[in-house]
Amino acid sequence: MSNVAPVVFVVDDDPSVRRAIQRLVESIGLQVELFASAQEFLRSKRPDAPSCLVLDIRLPGISGLDFQRQLAEANIHIPIIFITAHGDIPMTVRAMKAGAVEFLTKPFRDQDLLDAIQIALERDRTRRVQETEVAKLRERYESLTPREREVMPLVVSGLLNKQIAAEIGASEATVKVHRSQLMRKMGAESVADLVRMAAEMGIPAAKPKGP
Amino acid sequence: MISASAAMTGSYDYLQVVLSVVIAISASYAALDLGGRVTAASGWVRRAWLIGGATAMGFGIWSMHFTGMLAFRLPVLVSYSWPTVLLSLLVAISASAFALYVVSRHELGMVRALAGSVIMGSGIAAMHYIGMAAMRLAAVFRFHPLLVTLSVAFAIAFSFAALILVFDLREETKGTPSRKIASAVVMGAAVSAMHYTGMASASFMPSTVAPGLSHAASVSSLGNAGIVIVTLIVLVTVVLTSAVDRRLASQRAELERGRELATINEELRKEMLERQRAEDALRRSEDQLRLVIDTIPALVWSASPDGSLDFLNQRWLEYTGISSERGLGWAWAEELHPEDREGFVNAWRSAVATGEPFEHDVRVRRADGEYRWFSKRAVPLRDELGHIVKWYGTTTDIEDRKRAECALQEAQAGLSHVTRVTTMGELAAAIAHEVNQPLAAIVTNANFCLRQLASATPNSDKLREAISEIVNDGTRASAVISRIRALLQKSPPERVAVNVNQIIQEVTILLRNEMTRNRVSLRTDLAADLPRVSGDPVQLQQVLINLVMNGIDAMRSLAHRPRELLIKSAKNHNEVSIQVQDSGAGLDPERAEHIFEPFFTTKPEGIGMGLSISRSIVESHGGRLWAESDSKGAMFQFTLPTK
Repeated sequence: MSNVAPVVFVVDDDPSVRRAIQRLVESIGLQVELFASAQEFLRSKRPDAPSCLVLDIRLPGISGLDFQRQLAEANIHIPIIFITAHGDIPMTVRAMKAGAVEFLTKPFRDQDLLDAIQIALERDRTRRVQETEVAKLRERYESLTPREREVMPLVVSGLLNKQIAAEIGASEATVKVHRSQLMRKMGAESVADLVRMAAEMGIPAAKPKGP
Repeated sequence: MISASAAMTGSYDYLQVVLSVVIAISASYAALDLGGRVTAASGWVRRAWLIGGATAMGFGIWSMHFTGMLAFRLPVLVSYSWPTVLLSLLVAISASAFALYVVSRHELGMVRALAGSVIMGSGIAAMHYIGMAAMRLAAVFRFHPLLVTLSVAFAIAFSFAALILVFDLREETKGTPSRKIASAVVMGAAVSAMHYTGMASASFMPSTVAPGLSHAASVSSLGNAGIVIVTLIVLVTVVLTSAVDRRLASQRAELERGRELATINEELRKEMLERQRAEDALRRSEDQLRLVIDTIPALVWSASPDGSLDFLNQRWLEYTGISSERGLGWAWAEELHPEDREGFVNAWRSAVATGEPFEHDVRVRRADGEYRWFSKRAVPLRDELGHIVKWYGTTTDIEDRKRAECALQEAQAGLSHVTRVTTMGELAAAIAHEVNQPLAAIVTNANFCLRQLASATPNSDKLREAISEIVNDGTRASAVISRIRALLQKSPPERVAVNVNQIIQEVTILLRNEMTRNRVSLRTDLAADLPRVSGDPVQLQQVLINLVMNGIDAMRSLAHRPRELLIKSAKNHNEVSIQVQDSGAGLDPERAEHIFEPFFTTKPEGIGMGLSISRSIVESHGGRLWAESDSKGAMFQFTLPTK
C-alpha cells in the first residue's frame, strides 16, 4: 500500500504560481497534478494513492474555505494546505479549525511548503492504512455467523462465558465454541485485540440486559 | 205656332224670393270660407276640400236659383224635367269647383281672374238657362235678348268680383267674420240680381201644346221647403266644418308655433344654463385660486411699487402669527431680527428702486417669539411701459433646511475621514493580493533554482525555465502596479479654474466640527485677488483636509499650549501657495525625512498613506508639497502653478 507513489494536487487560478509550485515539489521527487479551479479538481479522476491538496484561498467561483467544507461534506478526506496572497487571522483560524494542515501566505518560504506537504502526505498515508485495516476487519466480520456477531459485542464488553450464556439463552459450552470461532475468524490474539478491532469498525460494546 | 195673345203675367212669391236671396248670401259666405280652406290645405285634403266645397257651393247656387224659379208663379201648372234639373246642378258644381280651383292658386293675375270669371260666369248662366229649360208648362218662352245679355254680363261680373273677394279674403288674417259677411251679402245680392235679371229676360206665351211630361215632376211647396232646408243645412255644415277645420288648423299652427317656441325656449334655457355654468366655473376658479393662494404651503405676499406690503396670504398670517396690521405697510420690519433688520430693509429698498428680482435670507420672529431663518424672494410685475405695478413675493421657512445643512456638513466631515481610512484599507488589500501572486511565484521559482544549484547535478534546462518565469513574473508584478495606478486615476482628474480661497473656506466649514471637538481655534489669512489655478477641486480639497486633519491630530496631545491652526494663502510670482501651520510639538528631525513615504505613520491608527497621496496629487497639479518644523509647531506648505 504505502509503496504507491504519493501525489500532490495544486489548485490555484494563477498559472505562474501553479507551475512554480510544481517545479519545487517535483524537485523533491513527488508527483504533482495541477488544477485551475475547484471544479476541475472535482471532475478529475484521482489516483488511489496517498495525496494532499495545496489550495489557494481565492479561487474563481468559490472560496478555498467553502471548498474545504464541500470536500468534507462529500466525505473526501484529503489533507489541505492553504496558500493565500492576502490572508487574515479569522480566515486562518477557520481553515485550521476545519482541519487544514497548514496556512501559508504568499510569498511563502519553500521549505515551509515542502514541510507542510510531507506532514500532509504522512497524515494521508496513516488515514489510508487505517482505512485499509478497517476494510480488512469488515471483511472478516462479514464471515461471522449471526450467532457469533451477537456474541462479539458481549465479549468486547468484558462479560464472562456464563454471563453471555445467560444473556443469549444458550449453554456455556455453546458460548465457548462461538467465542473461539469468533476469535479465530477475526484473527484476534486476545480479547484486548478484539476490543481494538471493534472500536476501529465502530461496533459498540453491548450493555448486558440482565442484572 | 205662336199665338199673338198677351204674355202670361207671373207673380213672385216674396217669401221665396227672400229665401233665395238668403241662400245666395249663405252660398257666397260658404264660398268665401272655402277659398281659405282649400288654399290652406294640401295633398288629398286639398282635393277633398275642393270636391266637398264645390259640391256645397254649387248646390247652394243651384238651390238659390231653383228657389228663385219656384218663387215665380205662373197661372199654369209648372212641372220640371228632373234630368235637366240634375244637369243644371252638375254645371253649378263644376263652375264652383273651377272657381275654387282658381282662387286657391298662389297667384291671381288679372288675366287669370278675367278668364276665370268668364268661365265661371258662363257656367252660372248656363246653369240658370238649363234650369229654366227644365220647366215643363203649357207656355212658350220668349227671351228678351238685352236682358239675357245683361244677365250673362252680371254673372261674369259677379264671378269676377267673387273671385277677387275670395282670393283676397282667403287668408285667415284678412277674413274677419264681419268682412266675410259683408262680402257675402254683396255677392249674394249680385247672384240674386243676375238670377232675377235672367228671369226677367224670359216671358211666357200661353200655348195649347201640352208640355212633354216625360221625366217631369212638379215641385210641391213641401219639396220646395225641403230643398231650401237641405241647402241651408249643407251650407251651414260646410261653414261649420270649415270653421272647425280652421280652428284645428290654427291649433295645429299654434302647436307648431308652440313647438317652435319650445325649441327656442329650450335653446335659450341651454344658453342660460351654459352661461350660468361658465359663471359658476369662473367663480369656482376664483374661489379655487383664492383657496390655492391661502392654502399652498408657502407664505405669499405682494407689495406696492413703493415697497410697502399690501397683501399677506392666510398662511403667512397663520404661520408668523403676525396680524395684518403689523405685517402690512412697513410695519413688518419690526418683526425682523435686530441684527438682520437694517441689511434686509436696505436690500429691499434697493430692489424696489432698481426693479431687480429680490432674494434675501432673514430671521423673523414668529408668534411664539422664536426667530427663524426665512428666505424672502420677490419679482416685480410690470405694465407694458415697463413700470412696476406690483411686487409678488414668497417667504420660505429655511430654518430646518439650515439646520439640516449644518448637520449634513458635520456628517460629511465625518464621512470624509471614514472613507479616507476605509478606502485605504481596501486599496492595501487589493494591492497586496495582486502583487503577492507574482511575488509568490518568483520566490518559489528562485528557491527552486537555489535548490538546483545546491544539488550535485543541477538541471540547467529546468533552471533556465524557472529563471525565465521569474523574469516574466517580475514584469507581471510591475504591470499590476501600473494597473492599480491606472485604476486610481480611473476618473480622469478634472482640470478647472479653481479659487483656492474658496477651497480653503469649504474645508474649514467641513472640518469646523472636528476643530471644535478638539478645541482647536482656526485662523485664516487669505490673500485677496488670488489668481485662480487649474486643478481638480475635489483632489485639492482632499489634500487640504489631509493637512488640516494632520494638524489637528498633532495638537491633540497638547495640554498646556493653545491649539491654534493657521491656514494661509499667498501669491508668489507665478504660483499660489497654501500653508497649514499647527502649534503642536513639531516634527522629529529624524522622522521628518520619512513622512512623505508611503506607509510611514506616526499615528497609532494611521496607515501612512495620507501625505504620500497628498504629495502625488500636488505633484500631478505641477506643484510641490513639503514640511517645515520648529519648536512652535509644524508647517506644511504646497504650491500650485498659476499658469
